[in-house]
This record gives sequence, C-alpha cells and structure tokens, in this order.
Amino acid sequence: MPPRENLRRSRAVAERAARLVGNYRPLPGVSDELIGRDGRIRPHWQRFVQTMAELGGRELQHRFSLADRHLAESGVVLRVYGAENGDERPWPLAHVPFLIAPEEWRQLEAGLIQRARLLDAVLGDAYGEGRLAADGALPASIIAGSPEFLRPLVGSEPVGGHHLRIYAVDVGRGPDGDWWVVSDRTQAPSGAGYALENRIALAQALPDIYRAFNVERLAGFFQAFRAGLNALNRHEETRVALLTPGPLNETYFEHAYLARYLGFVLVEGEDLTVRDDTVYMRTITGLKRTDVLLRRLDADFADPLELNPASRLGVPGLAGAVRRRNVVIANALGSGVVEARAMMGFLPGLAERILGEKLILPNVATWWCGQTLERDHVVAEFDRMVIAPALAPTLPGILSRGPVLGANLSPEDKAKLIDAISRRGQDYVGQEAVTLSTTPVWRGEGEDARLEPRPSILRLYVAQTADGWKVMPGGFCRISDRADARAVTLQQGGTSADVWVLSDGPVAETTLLASPDKVALRRATSTLPSRAAENLFWLGRYVERTEQALRVVRAIARRLVDVEAGSGAVSRLVTILTSSGAADFEKGPAQPARLALAALTDRENFNTAPRLAEASRRAASVIRDRLSPDAWRAVADLEILLNRPLAAHTGSDMHERASEALRIVAAFSGLAQENMVRHNGWRFLEMGRRIDRGLAVARAARLCGLGTGGAELDALLEIADSQITYRIRYVMQAARVPALDLVLLDAGNPRALAFQAERVRHSLSSLPGHAPAGILAPADRLASRLASELETADAAVLDADTIIGYEQTLMRISDEIALAYFTHRRPAPPVEGGD
Amino acid sequence: MLYDIRQVTEYSYASPVPFARQVLRLLPVDRPGQRVVACELSIRPQPTERHDTRDFFGNWLTTVAFSFPHSELRLETRARVLVEATEAPLPMLSPPFELIRRNAVAESDLGPLSPVHFLFPSRLVALDEEIAAYVRKSFPPGRPILDGAFDLTKRIKADFKYDPSATDVTTLPAVAFAQKAGVCQDFAHVMIAGLRTIGLPAAYVSGFLRTEPPPGRPRLEGADATHAWVAVWCGRETGWVGLDPTNGVFAAEDHVVLAVGRDYSDAAPADGVIVTSGDHTLDVAVDVVPVGA
Repeated sequence: MPPRENLRRSRAVAERAARLVGNYRPLPGVSDELIGRDGRIRPHWQRFVQTMAELGGRELQHRFSLADRHLAESGVVLRVYGAENGDERPWPLAHVPFLIAPEEWRQLEAGLIQRARLLDAVLGDAYGEGRLAADGALPASIIAGSPEFLRPLVGSEPVGGHHLRIYAVDVGRGPDGDWWVVSDRTQAPSGAGYALENRIALAQALPDIYRAFNVERLAGFFQAFRAGLNALNRHEETRVALLTPGPLNETYFEHAYLARYLGFVLVEGEDLTVRDDTVYMRTITGLKRTDVLLRRLDADFADPLELNPASRLGVPGLAGAVRRRNVVIANALGSGVVEARAMMGFLPGLAERILGEKLILPNVATWWCGQTLERDHVVAEFDRMVIAPALAPTLPGILSRGPVLGANLSPEDKAKLIDAISRRGQDYVGQEAVTLSTTPVWRGEGEDARLEPRPSILRLYVAQTADGWKVMPGGFCRISDRADARAVTLQQGGTSADVWVLSDGPVAETTLLASPDKVALRRATSTLPSRAAENLFWLGRYVERTEQALRVVRAIARRLVDVEAGSGAVSRLVTILTSSGAADFEKGPAQPARLALAALTDRENFNTAPRLAEASRRAASVIRDRLSPDAWRAVADLEILLNRPLAAHTGSDMHERASEALRIVAAFSGLAQENMVRHNGWRFLEMGRRIDRGLAVARAARLCGLGTGGAELDALLEIADSQITYRIRYVMQAARVPALDLVLLDAGNPRALAFQAERVRHSLSSLPGHAPAGILAPADRLASRLASELETADAAVLDADTIIGYEQTLMRISDEIALAYFTHRRPAPPVEGGD
Repeated sequence: MLYDIRQVTEYSYASPVPFARQVLRLLPVDRPGQRVVACELSIRPQPTERHDTRDFFGNWLTTVAFSFPHSELRLETRARVLVEATEAPLPMLSPPFELIRRNAVAESDLGPLSPVHFLFPSRLVALDEEIAAYVRKSFPPGRPILDGAFDLTKRIKADFKYDPSATDVTTLPAVAFAQKAGVCQDFAHVMIAGLRTIGLPAAYVSGFLRTEPPPGRPRLEGADATHAWVAVWCGRETGWVGLDPTNGVFAAEDHVVLAVGRDYSDAAPADGVIVTSGDHTLDVAVDVVPVGA
C-alpha cells in the first residue's frame, strides 16, 4: 500500500474509533469497564476499540448478525416465564464481549476458589457435626430456617467428600473499582451452557479478533469437570446422567445442550428408579445402575417420598440412596442452604475460622436482623439499605417479589416492614445497596453505531475436578437495557454477553473432542432411556402421519383446482382424511374443500396437520439432546408453518401450503437418513415412521384401490408417491392389480407396505433383546411373519379383509414394541432373603 | 401408666396397585417422660423391601416398597409404652414469652430438639398474620410463656368446632382458622402457625390417646384414631411442653407420643407414592388400654 493510502486509511480508522467512543460517558459515581478511573480508555479496551474501528461498522454489523443467526439456527432460545404457555424469545446476545485483563482475573480466580472451599466446608458442617453453630460462628437459625436445609440428608456424607461440585457466583464491580460478590448459587447453577453458546457464536463471528486477543478457552474447564464426574462413575453401567425437571423448565434448552456437550444422558425423574437404595435408569435393555447425577432439578423436588410429596418430577427413594452412599449427586441434595443472604454476613468470620484466611473477594455488606445490634443498625439506616428476605428468595408481604430498596418504599410500607423486622428479625437482612459497573454495548446501525455504557453483572463458575477446584475462564455477563437499573435479570429484558478473559500470552487450543480422560473408542452409543426411545418412536409416527395427511390434502387440492386431474377420486380421498381422524365424518363428503382445509389448518380434530406437527414437536422437545440442531429446526419450522393462517382459502393456496410443509418433512427425513448414526435411538425413530407409513398406504389401498376405477387408482399412486414408477413400468392407465402390487407388495418400492414391514423387521432384529434365549420376541415374530406374508401374497386376490389384517398386525407390532421397550414398570429383581 | 397400644390401618384399593413405595411412622420411640417397652409393626402383604431407620427428629421411619400387584394393605402396630406421671410445670413460673422469643432464635444447637427448627414456616404451616392476631390476645407483654400457651390452648378448644367433615388432611391452617372448625390436625396447625408468627417455637406431635377415660373423667376427643397436638418450647430448663388444643388440656399421662415434627408432613403415619388408577378406602382402628385395667 502506498504511504499516502496508508495514511488515509489510518485517519479513517481514527475517525471511526472516535465515533465509537467519542460520546461515551460513564454514569456519575459508577465505575466503568471501558474508561478507567483516570478518565482514559483502559489499555485492553483501547486495543479492542481500535480493532473494531479497523473492521468498520458495516462489517461488524454483518458479523454480529452471523452470530445471531448461528444462535437461532442452533435453537438457542430464552424461555420467558409469565407469558402464556411459556413464550420463547430469540437469545439476546450482546455482541461486544466483556473483557477482563489477566492480572485482574488472577485475583478473581483466587477469590472464587477460596469461596468455593469455604461454602463446601460450611455445607459439610451443616449436614455433619454442626460445630459452627454450636461454637457460635454461625447462627443455627440461619441453617434451620432455610427452606433448603433438607433434614433427611443430615448425617449423610457425600461420596467423594464434596457437597459442592459446580458453583456459580454473581459478581459486580463496585464504585471503587473492586469486585463484590452479589450472590452465591450452590443449588443447581444455571448458565454455563449459555456461556458456551455465547462463546461459540461470537468466536465464529469474530475469529480474527478472538485469536488476536489471546482469549482463554472454555473447553478445558468443561473437560476437567466432566472427568471429575466420570471418575465417580464406579459401575459404568450407564453414563453420568443429567437430571432435568423437563422441557417446561426455563433453562431446559441448556440442560439438553450441556448433556450433549458433556456426553451425559439427559434424564427426567421418571427415567430413574430406586431399588434397595440403589438408583437405576430405565433403559430399553432393562434397569441399569446409575452412579452419578448432575442435578438441575431443585433438591426439594428430587424425592417425593422424603422431600416434597407434591413433586411429580423426582425419584421416590433418592434421598435414601444418597444416605446409603450409592449415588453421587452434583450438587448434593440440600446444598442450596448456603445460598441464603443471611449467610453472607458471616462469611468473613467463617473464612478466618475454617480456612485461617481473610476473605479475598468481599461480598455485599449484609446485616442479619436475627441479631439485636444488626437489626437496630438496619432500622437506623433503613433508607440507605436494600431490605431482603434472609433465608429464602422471597417472603410473603412486602418482599413477596424479592428485595426492595428502603428509600423507595411508601411511608406506610416502610412502617409495616420495620414493624415486621422488629417482630421476626430472623426473616430479614439489610444489605448495602450496590451500584454495578457499566460495560460498553453496541448501539445504532452500521457506520453510525457507537458504544454506550450499561450496568452489568457477571456469573462465574467454579467446578470440583480431579485436580481440585477450577474456575471457568469466562462466564456469562448479564447487561441491563436500562442505563439506571440496579438489578439485572434477563427475564426483565436485557442482553447477555460473552466474557473474554485475556491471557498474557498465546492460549492452547483445546476442544472437548480431544479429551484426554478415558479415551476409549466407542462406536455404539450406549444407554438409551426407555422414555427417550418412546419419544423417538412417536416422533417418527407423528412426522409420518403429518406427511400422509399433507399428501392427501394436496391430492384433493390439486383436483379442486384442476378438473382434468380427475375429480372422481375426491370423495375417496376425503374418506381417507375422515377415517384417519384428520377431519370430521359429520361434515360429510359433500364438502371436500372444507374438509381438506380443516385437515390442513384446523386445530379441532386430533389428527389434523397442525395438531400432528405440534405433537411431533412435543415429542422432539423432550429428546432435544438426541437430535441435531438442524433436525430440531425442521420439526419446529413444520409446526410454525402449519399453524400460520392461510392467506386465501383457495385450492392453489392449500396446494402450495401442503407442498411447502412436505418439503420440510423431506428435509427432516433426509437429516434422519443421512446424518443420524444407526444406533438404537435411530431405530426407534425409523420404526415409528415405517409403521405409520405402512398403516397409511394400506388404508389408502383399501379405500382407493378396491372396486374403483382409474381416477381413484391414480389418486392412490399419487399419495403413495409411486406414479412415476408406475408409468415407467406400465405404459397404460392405472389398473387395480399392478397398482396394488406396486404400493403393497413390491419390496423394492420404498413407499410400499412390504418395504415398511421389512424395515421394521430389520430394525427390530438389530435391537438388543430381540431374541432372548434364541426365541424371537413377539414384535419380531409379528414383523417377520408380516414381511413373509407380503412377500408371498398375490395382488390379484387381495381383498379388504386381508389388508385390514395387515393393518392390525402393524398395530400389534407397535403395541409389542411399547411393551418390550417402553413400559417403565418392569418386575423388580428378587430381593434376597426377604426380611 | 403402662399402656398396650394396637393400631390397625387397612387400605383397600379399587384396582390392584402394581407398584408402591411408602414411608411409615407407626412405631413409637422413647421420649422424655415416655419409654417404649416393646413394639412391632407388621405389614401384610409382605413388602418387597423394608428398611427401618430414624428420621431427623428421631422418629422411626419405616420405608417399604411393593413391586407386585396388591389390592389391600394392612399395617398393624403393637406397642407397650410406659408414660411417666410427671408433674406439669407451673405456668406462672415459666419465663416471659419475650425472653423465649429472644433465646429461641439465638439458640446455638442444631440438634433435633433445638427450637430453631420450629421457628420458621414449614411445608404445611405458613406464617399467618391473621392467626397471629388471634394468638397475640393470649400474650400481653410479660406474660409467662406457658401461661399464655395454655390460655391459647383453652381458647382454641372453646372457639373452634370439632367437625371431621369440615376439613381433610390437606386443609391449610388459614382455611381451618377462617371456618373455626376442623379436627386435631387443624387445631394443632393453627396453634403452631400463630405461635411461630409471633416468634415462638412450636412443634407438631402425633400420637395416641387413652381410649377409655379414667372413672369420672370425660372421654377425650380423638381417641378413636391417631391424635395430634402441639409442643411449645419453654426455654432450656423446661424444654418442650405438650398442649392439646383439641381438648384444651396439657398433654400428660393420657397422651402417648408417636412422632414429632414441624407439621403433619414430618409426622404423617403413612405417606407414599402409589401407582394406581383407582380410588382407595382407608380404615384406621386404635386401642390404647392401660395394662391390667
């Protein structure tokens, strides 16, 4: 580049940098990430702003949109509580990362590890000897008053010795520039999976910047965490399981994502059972002992027998299995007790007593009102305090939605709260009101975009690994969308940013794939929980049923538009819809257009296309960890498309809609065929599809292929997608015998009944337990018989009864599969000795 | 007084239950003033698994699992229990309730009998300002704890109607309080809710009453089934004192303790997860007879 050109370019970059930060003004009395206390841009941010300026606004905007698209395509969503049916929103990624300089990180890291050790020790004492309370270092009321102090677990020492294995801390930077702990998360901390997704999205969008800035990688942390849990898996009958409350939970996406990323089995309570104080997983090959659970279900819900009896999400008897030390739960049941705000007031003293160390990271100053002096102080300083529930997240009354700022209360509310504190001070804490530091966010469009300060808070993670405590070098930053907000939560809007921990030198590239722990080549993916198998099977059945309904609707629509197509077959096609439950009988064949429209758009009948697509999505949503993001996307898109109103109720509109939906189904089928490994899970998906396709083609053959003319036979060939083959094979009008032979008996036709039967037989024979003691299981026997019957049948003599017989056999195969692989109530192993 | 106790609980299910897992608190333990001479719990049909352990509060916890279809379940407790004739502490000599309130929250013991476990809301008993307003009338400033608590016990007996049709096992204290009617479990829950809301530690006690009263005394309400009452913490010296709001009396020689907890959910005689599609009927019979009577 000639010098002059070079000069012009660098002047342009300087102008852009000035535009980005020229009007950046930190809020008064608040510290800021970009601008240091000396009023100048901090060195690491200086470099970052320079890099942004070099890329230019338009290029950055383009790259940020790539990150957003990556997140949307991966199915990352935010589930919002309160909205009807749990609304899902696109993941709100703040595109500018939160930067942490190396020396500052070392300080944070040391503080976090110290805190993890401290809280783990406090838990050990609370569930153990209770010395801290007895010696007056920690009030017994704070432990006993916490709803997370789970008495059935008192006296149980966890296998491996740690109550805490994954711990999260919310930290913010105070006005003086120091970091403060705002809250501790020890129950079942969320967000680590979102931190990973933010990282992947941003690193893909800004690969050059990401590399140039020597950002610490996250994979090593997850590797070490995983290895730590794997090491506790003594029996190895199943993999480590991630216990989720299920798809209705706010962070279910993250559970599925983490399970897949870490190679754990995603299970719900009903996937597990306790026999003789031992935890087993219900799998397609029977009960398998399970040693390790990564718990994302709140502890109180984990065992309806000894904990919350109203829970339908738990595993009866789990607490007993923990007491007998037959299972490791991370985090231990009851570890939420140290999340209590009141605990914070005692941590500095506890650190000195337990660790003999000063607390490295201070927490927000906290006064527990269960003590007279502290209570008087809180009442005296009421207007400058945050008043918060001491032991639980909320308290009935004024704090029913959590903490309040004393100064913001009306005089009556203030008097009421002070009165309540004077009567039951143990329920309240006063906390110093924290003002969080601000970090730059990207605002505006293209070249006009600039950085603006917004309050932010970091969630950082510490895990117990084989080499002790390890901090995730990164995290999850929540940013408020209001410039003055004190509390930051994503539920109230706001965005989340990736956290870049900068390194002094180049960082080692690691990915979870090249993990050094227990590298054993494995081809078969073991452990398929029965519930996952069942949902894969039904996903297959519903997707196929959707396809069949769409094909019939499209065939009707074409005939309504194009008279040449042979309207004679319409009434038979309508019968297919009504007999499959996609439309009502009552409306009668007189209104084919209305019936076809109903099958395509109505939500009233059970087997209409929108309802089937919804059922498909529901089945898919509980096995999201087993589907590729693309396959999940296809199922989600299908539901969205079929629930969108039709622009006009014309035949061609219906035709167009059905065709568009069929293309999505085809995409899903292609992904399932080409991208899924042929493991047991795939076989259940496959069998579901084959059984429903077999049922549909047999029904169509029976209704359109017997005692009918050329128009009906054409329709049959059309919905069985076999027209082209027929025309190539027989250059003539559709005739009954060759048509029935092609759609029912020709095992080479992937749409024919015989083909479906053969595929089902093949899948069954590849499953474990298909021939116990050398004798075929009932489903296998039925499938083999059906396949050979079809092989030897003669199309010329097929009648309705015979075809109905085939359909019944398919339904019996489905029942037998359910009985053999999905029933959760297998007989218990006999107990030796009795009592 | 030495008692022979027999309790028979019979479940009958409309359709066979293929699988069930239950926890039972049907065996008494030694408590202050009470000694268990002998006891056994027999279960028919024989469960697939049975474990007997002590829970946090010291109660016997029998965990059973049935992994075969059964249409009936019969639980029979037989126990011989000695209840000592102890002299009740004099209410007027107990410490002022304000002192109890202050000392309870500051107690440093985390053990099962510590008042700290009984100061806070529990699963079935939330804090309740309306009940507290009713309870406060028994606690003018400086009143001795036990004097106030006994006054409250008698007021509940007078103000509430014993009516088994008014509530069921899931009725919350606020509801029982609003309708001023219920059974022993409701009265105990109401009293506990009110005491805790004003900062006083109160526990739930389940147990048995002597079936036939001594000559010349009226038959107590609740003698034909498992009974429930309240224990109030009166400071380290006096400890826990039992008060029976259903009958407006101290829990004394006629009361045999079965289980103790924060509320019914900690002391329920039977609780569990039963896989069934149908309904069930439950029949409980209790006999508490003085030995040699």
